[in-house]
Amino acid sequence: MPIKKTLGFSVLLLLLSGCVEEFIPETKNFESILVVEATLTNELKQQEIFLSRTRTFEDILPNKEENADVRVTDDSQNEFVFTETQPGKYVSDVSFEAVSGSSYQLEITTSNGRGYVSSPVLMGQSIEMQDVYAERITNQNNNEGMAIFVDSFDPTGNSRYYRYEYEETYRVIAPDWISSDLEGVPIPPFRLEQDCNVRISSEPRSPDKRICYPTDFPNNVIITTTKNFDEDRVQRFPVRFINRDNYIISHRYSVLVRQYVISPEAYDFFQTLQDFSETESVFSDTQPGQLFNNITSIADVDEPVLGYFEVASVNERRIFFNYDDFFPGEALPPYADPCNRVAPPLQDMETDCVLRPLIEAETFLYLQENFEPVNIEGPFIVVPRVCGDCTVLGTNELPEFWIE
Amino acid sequence: MKKYLVMTLFLTQALMAQQGSEKISLSFENKKMEDVLLDLEQISSFRFYYVQSWLKDEPLSGDYNQQTIDEILTSLFRDTEINYYVLDDGKVILTRNNAIYDKVPDFFLQDIALKDSTAIERPVEKESTYNAPIFYKEQGVATEGPIGTIRIGREDNDRGKQNYLLSGYARNSKTGRPIEDLALVHLGSENGTSTNAEGFYEISLPAGPNLVEARALGIQTSQYRVIMYNDGELNLELNESLEALQEVVVEGNKISNVRQPITGITQIDVEEIKTIPLVLGERDILKVALTLPGISNAGEGAAGYNVRGGRTDQNLFLLDNAVIYNPAHFFGLFSALNPFTTGGVTIYKGNIPSEYGGRLSSVFDVTTKNGNTEKFAGEVSIGPVTGNITLETPIVKEKSSFLIGARGTYSDWILRSLDTEELRNSSASFYDVIGKYSHKIDQNNDLEVTGYYSRDNFSITSDSIFNFSNRLVSLKWDHTFKNEKNVASLIASNSAYRFNIEFDGDANGDFDLGYQINETELKLRMKSIFGEDHIVNYGLSGKLYQVEPGNVDPLNPESNIASLQIPKERGLEAAIFLSDTYTISEKFALDVGLRYSFYAALGASSQRVYEDNAPRDDGTLVEVREFDTNEFIETYGGPEARFSARYSITPDFSIKVGFNNTYQYIHTLSNNTTASPTDTWKLSDLNIEPQQAYQVSLGLFKNFNDGMYEVSLESYYKRSNNILDYKTGAQLLLNETIETDILQGDGRAYGLEFLVRKLTGRLNGWLGYTYARSFVRLDSDFNQERINGGDYFPSNFDKPHDFSLVANYKFTKRFSGSANFVYQTGRPVTFPIGTFEFNNADFVAFSERNKFRIPDFYRLDLSFNMEGNHKIKKFAHSFWNFSIYNVLGRNNPYSVFFVTEDGEIKAFQSSIFSIPIPTITYNFKF
Repeated sequence: MPIKKTLGFSVLLLLLSGCVEEFIPETKNFESILVVEATLTNELKQQEIFLSRTRTFEDILPNKEENADVRVTDDSQNEFVFTETQPGKYVSDVSFEAVSGSSYQLEITTSNGRGYVSSPVLMGQSIEMQDVYAERITNQNNNEGMAIFVDSFDPTGNSRYYRYEYEETYRVIAPDWISSDLEGVPIPPFRLEQDCNVRISSEPRSPDKRICYPTDFPNNVIITTTKNFDEDRVQRFPVRFINRDNYIISHRYSVLVRQYVISPEAYDFFQTLQDFSETESVFSDTQPGQLFNNITSIADVDEPVLGYFEVASVNERRIFFNYDDFFPGEALPPYADPCNRVAPPLQDMETDCVLRPLIEAETFLYLQENFEPVNIEGPFIVVPRVCGDCTVLGTNELPEFWIE
Repeated sequence: MKKYLVMTLFLTQALMAQQGSEKISLSFENKKMEDVLLDLEQISSFRFYYVQSWLKDEPLSGDYNQQTIDEILTSLFRDTEINYYVLDDGKVILTRNNAIYDKVPDFFLQDIALKDSTAIERPVEKESTYNAPIFYKEQGVATEGPIGTIRIGREDNDRGKQNYLLSGYARNSKTGRPIEDLALVHLGSENGTSTNAEGFYEISLPAGPNLVEARALGIQTSQYRVIMYNDGELNLELNESLEALQEVVVEGNKISNVRQPITGITQIDVEEIKTIPLVLGERDILKVALTLPGISNAGEGAAGYNVRGGRTDQNLFLLDNAVIYNPAHFFGLFSALNPFTTGGVTIYKGNIPSEYGGRLSSVFDVTTKNGNTEKFAGEVSIGPVTGNITLETPIVKEKSSFLIGARGTYSDWILRSLDTEELRNSSASFYDVIGKYSHKIDQNNDLEVTGYYSRDNFSITSDSIFNFSNRLVSLKWDHTFKNEKNVASLIASNSAYRFNIEFDGDANGDFDLGYQINETELKLRMKSIFGEDHIVNYGLSGKLYQVEPGNVDPLNPESNIASLQIPKERGLEAAIFLSDTYTISEKFALDVGLRYSFYAALGASSQRVYEDNAPRDDGTLVEVREFDTNEFIETYGGPEARFSARYSITPDFSIKVGFNNTYQYIHTLSNNTTASPTDTWKLSDLNIEPQQAYQVSLGLFKNFNDGMYEVSLESYYKRSNNILDYKTGAQLLLNETIETDILQGDGRAYGLEFLVRKLTGRLNGWLGYTYARSFVRLDSDFNQERINGGDYFPSNFDKPHDFSLVANYKFTKRFSGSANFVYQTGRPVTFPIGTFEFNNADFVAFSERNKFRIPDFYRLDLSFNMEGNHKIKKFAHSFWNFSIYNVLGRNNPYSVFFVTEDGEIKAFQSSIFSIPIPTITYNFKF
């Protein structure tokens, strides 16, 4: 929403010697609230619904809602039952797709016996994205990098509200991968004194640790509307911007963009969600409050419920590009880690082992021998594990969709 | 006796201590008072000076053992009208209050006749030698006597009437300018009045001889002996007093706070605020208003005012009778009113006079000074942020004058000098210009024309340029009819407010967005005096609103933004009004007003009609109805009562009650807590009903120490309907279906306001404390239109405790210091109550709306003022002000907000002035 963006100025008033400080709020009067994350799509699949509860600021672990009874009914009295497969994750027993023109309703009964129901949500029509493409740009903050744009067009003009998700998969090459590893000198059984010595292992390091294909599922809300446009046309909508010094575009990069056509109400919901998480500005304080949603408690209308039951048509498109395509002959972005080389001593002053535990915990990996140790340096130069083993970042399996 | 009268000038309480410590033992039985005094003279060093006839002949008895003269005299005169003063050298002077003037003793008049002008000046010069505070009252009594005798009206044979009406204009004899807020007091009855902005006054006096005293700040107090034979006119030419530096206090409405029948009225004179500590060197009359009970804002640096628990859009700001929509510069840090051209502001927060309407909570009636009709004059101020120049010049001497004031920021240096790179590229500037032409056409006709323009420009991110401006012009013609009992004022005004945003980013969303509101008003106000007891105001007004709620245009050919124009809105607001200020008796006065307002939303327009009893959204749209140009879309209206009454228990103690109701047909759309320049005004239409409020108030007013202290205690209870609020996350700008995002709810507010002002003396100032609550209820049958379960919850500006202290201490005539302390309960906020995971990110879950509060606000400001020298012959009079704002360096939170960054929640609080801010301002007048 372009207007919103304009108004998203940073807090201007801090300019008058004021300040913006971070502080740790205490959670006051905590009551746990049910959070529903449910998107039915027009893909024929086992649909998924996630249930959790709010947690205090002090809690770190997610608070999943387990053992709930979850079902979706449509206006033709079909009922789809969902079964919990992982804590908080409920998957439909059968594969089904949301059909354009039908409406769907979500019913939940939590393990404490409380019932929740959504308002009926109508499945709209589906439209296809026209194009997803990458371009090298300089953005408004003067940063150079790659932008992923979407073009979409609905000639009927009925779609108007869009939400995007993307997942990106990229090739990484561990810069300091070598074919050998260090290992601790084996300690014979029943021997009590320690041995701090390490040696080059007879087993080579797997070549599979050199090239990997990590996949990220970013978590920001990306929505746009063509409400104010003549045509229902999304043009050059930036879904993702990757700074040119981000290692993920160093070799080959692929992004899958999913476009959901959503209802105006769902748009409002996501807009509010987005507003809640954006910097406040002088011009557009968002009045926070309990999020409006389409799910209510059956027993107590005033009980807060968070989340949204969304029924949306989805359409996806994947693109690939290489760094060379846009930055030919230019230096690669720095790797995920600066890969500082160190040569820890075998033993420290207290005669405790230093290098051996680091090797055994796989915190560091072997790079080369240290031929001219200085001061207390040890005989081997090592690097952080991620520099010699990319599986730290993600899988080394070539994804099925991958095209060279 | 002459000797004593002059001497009374020097009297101070401090002097009493000198000989007062002498211990005296005295006992007597059944002695006359005079004899007791003679006895006292025998046994002590005190000598008494008095008029024999004052002393009672009743026998007195008493027994005093080792007591001070003070204790003895206090006891002796307890039940008499006699006051006493003990002088340095053991002289004790007895005076009798009021009675002196009641009878106008012969010796008194003779005495005055003998006086020459030097006799008046001498004691004042001595005053500083004596290191005495200024006793205005005594000065008035002693130095200025009646200037001869003035006979008013031809004596009718039929002298049936007991009271006659005296009216006229008060003017400064030197500048020819009208004197506003001049108090005219009928000595004896203490009945009084004060002059309006044109210097006009009216006072009812008993037939026969009367003594009338005229006094105002900076004006030499004068007395007139007026013999009333009939109604008549007396124009007063008054001299500036030797206290012409004027910054001490306002003495004008000395008794008007007690006498005025209207409740909830606050007046601020610009001179009164001259020494109050400043923010960045800007004197600001509206910021001073915030230190008075019942008027607050959302926080430091916030624009918009909340009056008695009302929203920021419920205040009618009038600048010389024309509406000013956004009286703020720089997001509200400064007000857009030029402090040098502003004469004063009267704030009606309780009972709004019936001639005003259209806003629920208050009227801020700001008047501009009239120019100098005698000679060219000017004033220049140099502060850290702005420069300000005001010039006044006569056009036709003694008849017409022109005043122009201009103020502007020097540059964007504040922004440039900042460390933050983003802000260094920003710019912000503002200016305002005001011109006023006033012309006294003849005895019966006056004309005033005011023009005003203010503009702010800023650019905060490199891709947007923002500006907003106020423009207004007003014309007022006053005509006094032959019989002098009817005065007509014809007022025409036009005001406009607009803002504009240009966004030049890099996607297909570049645009240029604009908003504008324009209103034109025509008003006829009549004032008639019926008999001696009724002053009747009546008239009618009509106002045409034209709103262009927004247009957006693509900035360049690549932009995919469609030119969108939210259709123009038009509305007509008309009103008739009548009010009577009825003085039933000396003790009892009424102000009864009635206003009938009518509003019509005018076509051409397309109005959306929604299903009844269903939430308004696209799904419940029934039809779109088309209206032709000037067709009435919907009409609203109703009677508005404006009633207040005053009962004087004693001349300086009164009780007042008031009731009033109001309608408001125009609303701001703002989802900000504070007023913001992008707030748009929306007219009532088919879907948005007018706001309404009812208020009852009760107040007690008491003056102590002959008006040196004013104490008031006021309470109110207010209910309002159809107050605007919004669904969470509403998009307000450029929304074609804004009614689907708006909620209209009920408001409820009540409060107790305590104010004590010390008007005179070296130390003066005021202390205010308010306990007030303000609540909103947004209820509906539909979940998405109900907030907090449909119960009352505290409004954004509900601050129960509000304490302000403004104190001014005068060290010498040239040096003074002031302090300003404010404490307020933190305003309500919607606080996060936990986090939740959604869409793989963490979000904050918020509490019910406004369930928590930000930390309390407090701030201390200090300032020190230095006047230039007091030589009479010099080019200009200068004035320095050194201020430190927020001396305690209190980090008052302006807002609290939460941001999701990389899926993690961070909480921030921002404040505007977290460190003490020193400023220096230099002014000079020529």
